[in-house]
Amino acid sequence: MNTNPRDGTGDRLVSVNLTAFVEQASVGSDPFRIDGDGAPYVPIGDGGIVIGLRLGDGVFDYAADHAAPGACLVHDDPAAGYALSAQACIGNPVEVRTGAAAGELGAIAGKRGEEGRVIAVFRQEVLHELRPGDQVAVRSRGQGAPSLVEDVTVCNVEPDLVERLPIGAGPVTLAVNVRTVVPSRLVGNGIGRPTPMWDLDLQIDRATASRWHAEQLRLGDLVAIDDLDARYNAGYRRGWRSIGVVVHGASPQPGHGPGVTVILSGPSGRIDVEADGAGHVGLDEEALLEVARARW
Amino acid sequence: MPAEGDAVDLKRNDNELLTQVLAGEVWPALGDRHGFRVDPDGRPFLLPGMGGVTLGVHCGDPATGWAGDHVEPGLSVRHHDPAANFALQYLSCVGNRVVVTSGPGAGAEGMVIGQHAYVLVDMDECAMRQVTTGDQVTVFAIGQGMRLTDHPKIVVKNCSPALLAALGGGTASGGRLDVHVAARVPADAIGAGSGMVSEFANTDLMGAYAGLGGNLSLGLEGLRIGDIVALADQDHRFGRGYREGWTTIGVISTGSCQLFGHGPGPSTLMSGPSEAFRLVDDPASNLGVLLCRTGGLRPDPVAAGGSDQP
Repeated sequence: MNTNPRDGTGDRLVSVNLTAFVEQASVGSDPFRIDGDGAPYVPIGDGGIVIGLRLGDGVFDYAADHAAPGACLVHDDPAAGYALSAQACIGNPVEVRTGAAAGELGAIAGKRGEEGRVIAVFRQEVLHELRPGDQVAVRSRGQGAPSLVEDVTVCNVEPDLVERLPIGAGPVTLAVNVRTVVPSRLVGNGIGRPTPMWDLDLQIDRATASRWHAEQLRLGDLVAIDDLDARYNAGYRRGWRSIGVVVHGASPQPGHGPGVTVILSGPSGRIDVEADGAGHVGLDEEALLEVARARW
Repeated sequence: MPAEGDAVDLKRNDNELLTQVLAGEVWPALGDRHGFRVDPDGRPFLLPGMGGVTLGVHCGDPATGWAGDHVEPGLSVRHHDPAANFALQYLSCVGNRVVVTSGPGAGAEGMVIGQHAYVLVDMDECAMRQVTTGDQVTVFAIGQGMRLTDHPKIVVKNCSPALLAALGGGTASGGRLDVHVAARVPADAIGAGSGMVSEFANTDLMGAYAGLGGNLSLGLEGLRIGDIVALADQDHRFGRGYREGWTTIGVISTGSCQLFGHGPGPSTLMSGPSEAFRLVDDPASNLGVLLCRTGGLRPDPVAAGGSDQP
């Protein structure tokens, strides 16, 4: 079985400058969405520029829906938007090119599904200067990166960032420190979609978090999803494991929840995990911005 | 189990239900210039299934084992206006009567068997052969808003009064609703469609990839088109979501998939706390069989007050 979809190509990665635009949050003509119990609510923080939310914040801490730390980036042309979401990787640098924040640097922190959106982290003072419509350049690199160990696919992550994550590579297995390990049946929106372009929403809310040892789940955490093969589309496969980064917060919508961008997928025998519900530290804002700055 | 020809008399709010007459059009199969999609093992495939008129697959036929992807039995129907299309998709209910109104097949009648971002219409194979892309159909939409007055915890949707009457079951001891199901589906199988509203498209089931790896199987390869199934730990009242202790009843409306994370899909019919149901394993619980039991296709007529009594 070909376990790395990029086998057969060379290992040298190209970088591509992609243009994207800071998103304006948008809603339909009806202001309400409906939560799992049938109560209408106004979605806050779903896309666009979100101030005050940072990597390390708890996913259940805000009265928000899919809120991501920083700014979501999009492109008006659907095909260019899909390319942006497929090629941008966590850790890639983002430079603001227009508007009051022109010249400031940020970093890709994850991706959202559906329309081709990616999430960019900026320092809070930069976010205050950003405005929807501002143009940015994303220097994408990472897709096609070689496996760290045999059989385990790496995707959606800038290779230079991997060493700043709690991931250790042995000769035949990876050792990954995660906040929690959850079963694949918790994956809602995003299941069946291509991993390079979608995140996976975990159907966990504040009420069910303790059941999954996710009370302390934070933006930037690494999470393991068991019996999930996410090399291509994400789907159920017994004995497989996928590791992702938590990139957006919880959602009241049924089938939705904290979102995970997958970065590793392979047979579970190749990925050892240590669940650290209290002490885990995953993707950190300082490390992320440092790696991005060095790549710019 | 009711005897043949019996209809189950469940109290419901029929006098409140309205019929809306909706126009639709048989929609073409759609592709893009790259053609290929990717199966669970990373192999590319290019297969028919969605859109157009898919012949030779009807209620009661195997859902899996076709060289197809997202096999949509019969007519695949949309409306060209986006908002009118959402109304068509949301309001059409399984069991609703459909009439072909243009082309050589005009006058032929069929029945809604589910939604899949298309309204899916099964009809007699001979009649279906006369229908093609662009032909107009009329859907007599009735069912949304139905309530089972003796089962207030159960939400019914996408289900015509005629189908509800044909479903095997009734009120069991302890006030639970008996539902006959051809298969029970574990929550691990829930694939694409999760997180979407349950009045639109359906819930793809993984674990039914006939002929692919054993580590993909959840024992669902025997599903048939039209099977009434129970989904464990699914609450589909306000969208499709995982909720332990809840049960959703659906009808398999689409077949084989090679695309990973996808598979034969049930359209949602009912959702409630598990204790509100008494599931009865019954391999004959299939749309095709049920409709024969009640004397053949007895679709919802257009009648003032929405009565479905013939």
